[in-house]
Amino acid sequence: MHTDARRVEAGDIPASTSWPVELKSVSVTYPNGTKALQDVSLRIEPGEMVSIVGLSGSGKSTLIRTINGLVQATDGTVTVGPHEITGLSGRRLREARGHIGMIFQGFNLAERTDVFHNVLVGRFAHSSPFRTLLGLPTKADRELALRALDSVGMLEKVWARANALSGGQKQRVAIARALTQQPSIMLADEPVASLDPPTAHGVMRDLRRINGERGLTVLINIHLMDLARQYTTRMIGLRDGAVVYDGPAGAATDADFEQIYGRPIQSDDTLDARA
Amino acid sequence: MTTGELAVPARPTNRFRTALIVAAFVAFTVATCIPAIGGIDLDVGAIVRNWRNGAGKMLQLLQPNFAFLPRTWAPMLETLQMALVGAVASAIVSVPITLWAASPTNPNSWTRITVRTLVNIVRSVPDLVFATVLVAMVGVGALPGVLTLFLFNIGIVVKLVSEAIDSSDHGYMEAGHAAGGTQLQINRVTALPQTWPLFANQWLYTLELNVRISAILGIVGAGGIGRILDERRAFYAYGDVSVIILEILVVVILIEIMSNLLRKRLV
Repeated sequence: MHTDARRVEAGDIPASTSWPVELKSVSVTYPNGTKALQDVSLRIEPGEMVSIVGLSGSGKSTLIRTINGLVQATDGTVTVGPHEITGLSGRRLREARGHIGMIFQGFNLAERTDVFHNVLVGRFAHSSPFRTLLGLPTKADRELALRALDSVGMLEKVWARANALSGGQKQRVAIARALTQQPSIMLADEPVASLDPPTAHGVMRDLRRINGERGLTVLINIHLMDLARQYTTRMIGLRDGAVVYDGPAGAATDADFEQIYGRPIQSDDTLDARA
Repeated sequence: MTTGELAVPARPTNRFRTALIVAAFVAFTVATCIPAIGGIDLDVGAIVRNWRNGAGKMLQLLQPNFAFLPRTWAPMLETLQMALVGAVASAIVSVPITLWAASPTNPNSWTRITVRTLVNIVRSVPDLVFATVLVAMVGVGALPGVLTLFLFNIGIVVKLVSEAIDSSDHGYMEAGHAAGGTQLQINRVTALPQTWPLFANQWLYTLELNVRISAILGIVGAGGIGRILDERRAFYAYGDVSVIILEILVVVILIEIMSNLLRKRLV
């Protein structure tokens, strides 16, 4: 606690060590019979910046949600750092999730709550439920939240209600919420799909900066090929719940994308063509 | 713009549904017209034969005895107190029960179904039955009235707000779970501020409702203005009765105006 406070004063949020992710023969079948993932195996090293590419319905969202246990794998094992997510439930799953940050396409902020309390959600797993109930965050939690907001340039909006923010600002607050967890890995599920092109680039730059400065493992679901090429170093292609591409992102050719999508490239597969 | 004939696709028709609606309409009409299978035997002629009885009372009612007004202050104050105490007490208790009864805020289906069943049982009992039973249990006065309003309000708030929570968008819950929060933490920090306007709306509604209901509850001995209303009616003092009715009308309208003003500031 004491050292944390001092590092906070030094101006950065103390990042925990970065974690690897390993999936071994992971399959997910939903109760309605949909096979969302089929026998997916992959390993992501600590500090990698990975994009997961595929059409909607290809299993991207399911894949990223098996990593923090929001979706339980029906088969296979998911290991994140020291935790085998597939074997966890209850308190121990919540503890593991506390180290896994996540941002969403729809931002998932509590719209009627102010930015400060939305960001404090990131401290849930790290603070006593008693304090949360009384609405009394510790001084260290408060500092972490404010530093995280400052690092995404949203500190001046700390007392604004979430529904008063623009889309790009909301996603920045969501990033601050995830950073407040002091995560060891960052998941992003279509983080820019609801944003206009300049804002989308801004959010992608934020994610790249987090990866670069903190050495944090970052996984981004995305269907826009130009953003995947420009901002990530490794690309995993999904089609019908199976991995069909795994290689460097920058060097991925249009043909590679056509193979992942299973159809010719269209104009709305790139952000800049839409703009 | 081209001027040719537009190729409008044929509007889909659903003959089966139309036939079903017609059949239901016919069945309903038949059922309501035959007393033996559910229709009510109405004798419209009774109005013609008896209207003179009512006319006398109406004439008396049209001459309110305003001299009686000072004697109504205390019972009216008691009614307002009952309404307010009932509404506030139920508002406090309704929060945890409602969050328990809605599926986004309580993923455990067993406790949820239990709470919902209990609330539905409470809701299915008419308020006058509660009042009658409670008067027998705790005696005549304001207490059975307040308890009746409390139970009645819990039923309304929990039912309406928990259904509103069920049907509202709750993406923020996923973020809370992803951050490793317990359901209690998520409810406290995000769900509560998010659903607070839904609650406040229903709380104000129960306050309005309570003033109206507690005027009636006095008839079975549960205190307030209703008791004096029943007493004056029993003495055939229709001038006094009409003053009481007017007073209730004024108070109900005032409360509605106030709660409408508050409601506008909620959103």
